[in-house]
Amino acid sequence: MEGKLSSVAKQFKPSPIQELSHLAQKRNAINLAEGFPDFPAPLLLKSSAISAINSDFNQYRHVQGICDHLAMIVKEMHGLNVNPLTDIAICCGQSEAFAAAVFATIDKDDEVILFDPSYETYEACVTMARGVPNPTGKVFTGDELELIAEECRARNCFAITDEVYEHITFDNNKHISLASLPGMQERTIITSSLSKSFSVTGWRVGWAIAPPFIASAIRNIHVKLTDSAPAPFQEAALTALSSTPEYFESLRSDYESKRDYVMKMLEGIGFKIQFKPQGSFFLFAELPEDCPLSDVEYVKELIQKAGVVAVPGCGFFHTDLAMKKSFDADYAYQNS
Amino acid sequence: MSNLAIKHGAINLGQGFPNFDGPEFVKDAAIQAIRDGKNQYARGYGVADFNSAIAERFKKDTGLVVDPEKEITVTSGCTEAIAATMLGLINPGDEVILFAPFYDSYEATLSMAGAKITGITLRPPDFSVPIEELKSKISKNTRAILINTPHNPTGKMFTREELSTIASLCIENDVLVFTDEVYDKLAFEMEHISMASLPGMWERTVTLNSLGKTFSLTGWKIGWAIAPPHLTWGVRQAHAFLTFATSTPMQWAAATALRAPDSYYEELKRDYMAKKAILVEGLKAVGFKVFPSSGTYFVVVDHTPFGLANDIEFCEYLIKEVGVVAIPTSVFYLNPEDGKNLVRFTFCKDEGTLKAAVERMKEKLLRK
Repeated sequence: MEGKLSSVAKQFKPSPIQELSHLAQKRNAINLAEGFPDFPAPLLLKSSAISAINSDFNQYRHVQGICDHLAMIVKEMHGLNVNPLTDIAICCGQSEAFAAAVFATIDKDDEVILFDPSYETYEACVTMARGVPNPTGKVFTGDELELIAEECRARNCFAITDEVYEHITFDNNKHISLASLPGMQERTIITSSLSKSFSVTGWRVGWAIAPPFIASAIRNIHVKLTDSAPAPFQEAALTALSSTPEYFESLRSDYESKRDYVMKMLEGIGFKIQFKPQGSFFLFAELPEDCPLSDVEYVKELIQKAGVVAVPGCGFFHTDLAMKKSFDADYAYQNS
Repeated sequence: MSNLAIKHGAINLGQGFPNFDGPEFVKDAAIQAIRDGKNQYARGYGVADFNSAIAERFKKDTGLVVDPEKEITVTSGCTEAIAATMLGLINPGDEVILFAPFYDSYEATLSMAGAKITGITLRPPDFSVPIEELKSKISKNTRAILINTPHNPTGKMFTREELSTIASLCIENDVLVFTDEVYDKLAFEMEHISMASLPGMWERTVTLNSLGKTFSLTGWKIGWAIAPPHLTWGVRQAHAFLTFATSTPMQWAAATALRAPDSYYEELKRDYMAKKAILVEGLKAVGFKVFPSSGTYFVVVDHTPFGLANDIEFCEYLIKEVGVVAIPTSVFYLNPEDGKNLVRFTFCKDEGTLKAAVERMKEKLLRK
């Protein structure tokens, strides 16, 4: 009955990342592949969620307070004026916010530009909406946001941003939201979530911020996809989004020291790290030139012989680049 | 309707979720999971222990033995299971049969998948399946048929006879079946039957369900899809890109919930039957024509004795002049005209609330 799959489903292949995770689990390897922390979520946040469950915040709900907080935060961080009543849709994680944003804006055969290396989900969402993904293979720096903005304005196209690592930036690099550039707020959909900023990747609370007519479309689609984000965690989000600057500073500096540690360790072993991460908790490393293995083969060996997991770089690229022989390690770990 | 309701201080028997909360033992399990640090990404298709609990429960309910690793996918509520099933298994242009009235996400997600929708209307008084009409509309071009049993909004439960007839038509024409069974534990007048358990149907059925209605925790968003591996594959692909993973602590708690003893389910039924009696007797006494509801926590009534032109006007009148909320059913039909005489009340509210609503209607709602 293979013919019973939709054409969209047939295009998707099993992720090599998942296969490696299973292998890692079997060998009890240290998982530096998947992007989630092994240290606990902030106590205050957990207590807030527990209190919400006990106070019977367990039925379908939309917690408007989240939108109020987000409006204040984007004003402070990016100078954006956002209407909390009309410009924000709360979703099940940035994942759903992104999927809903794509369904809201992409029609059959619409062209969508993606920057490689990119998280595999982006292309899949575009494909599901029957758009045409067009990975450019271009890597951009903060300065090039202005170039992108210029093109968007000139060609009158939308931008969808994934800013989940917005609070994890290093070496005094400030996260700049594309929407804050001239002429961009009216054509940008910002997606983000609690997951990475508050170490609660399993809670599934995220959002999309966009001009009202887009936010409204995203909200309508979200309601048909999942109806509501988990209620007690929406309540806890109010606590999270009220965090002090000190919380974010310590998050940043913790991750920065972990980055420095992992870089030193990998370089000491013989890896080439061409690009020092300026944010997120991932790092791309190139395999030593004399290594005969492909990235997938290498990671399998890494699991089997060293008991450590990383992600082969091929999953993030669409074309054959020299960078194919690379892997992606995350340092969201307490004891590397 | 909700805003109007609040403005008039109306008693809300419209919204389909309880005004009482879930059981302590399930909430405690979620709290424990949060404390134990189960707050990071769960495996995309579900926490292993939860998948096992779903399989155990399904075996108790249907006798079917399913592989929790290959045949169960956990989603953010049954709403997402429906969306993932449509997007994963339906192609643009595919013909899909829906029974009206239907839960509104069916039509919306089928549109997103680009399907061609064929509606078959279930009509009062017993909302039985019009077999001849079904035979005329199902063909080798039909890709899938969607069944919601027990049925929202009518409370109808598909009988074994109806399901068998539909099954043989599906086998004959090679049609998939998607069944939404979220109210399966609120089956009062007859036993709930899962299509997947009928001969020849397991291989072509996706069974959808959730935690919310059975455990009064509708805001937790824990649902699942059970299907043979080749169909599960499609559901999982779409699910991976819709939400990636489902709330972790709630899944751990849900595993505890699904292992609840039979006594939990018996008490649930008893409670809801008492509530149903209050509402149904009350609505009859007020003067509505009440249609029999075998399951769910909904009941559909004919409002025409009160002289309003259609369901929407009646619901507005009910809020403003009487102070009670019901839902107009026309939104649940492909052709809204089919619903204009019918409105839906819910009895998933505490007994005090139900009694107060009935009193208000007895006092202020007058037959014309």
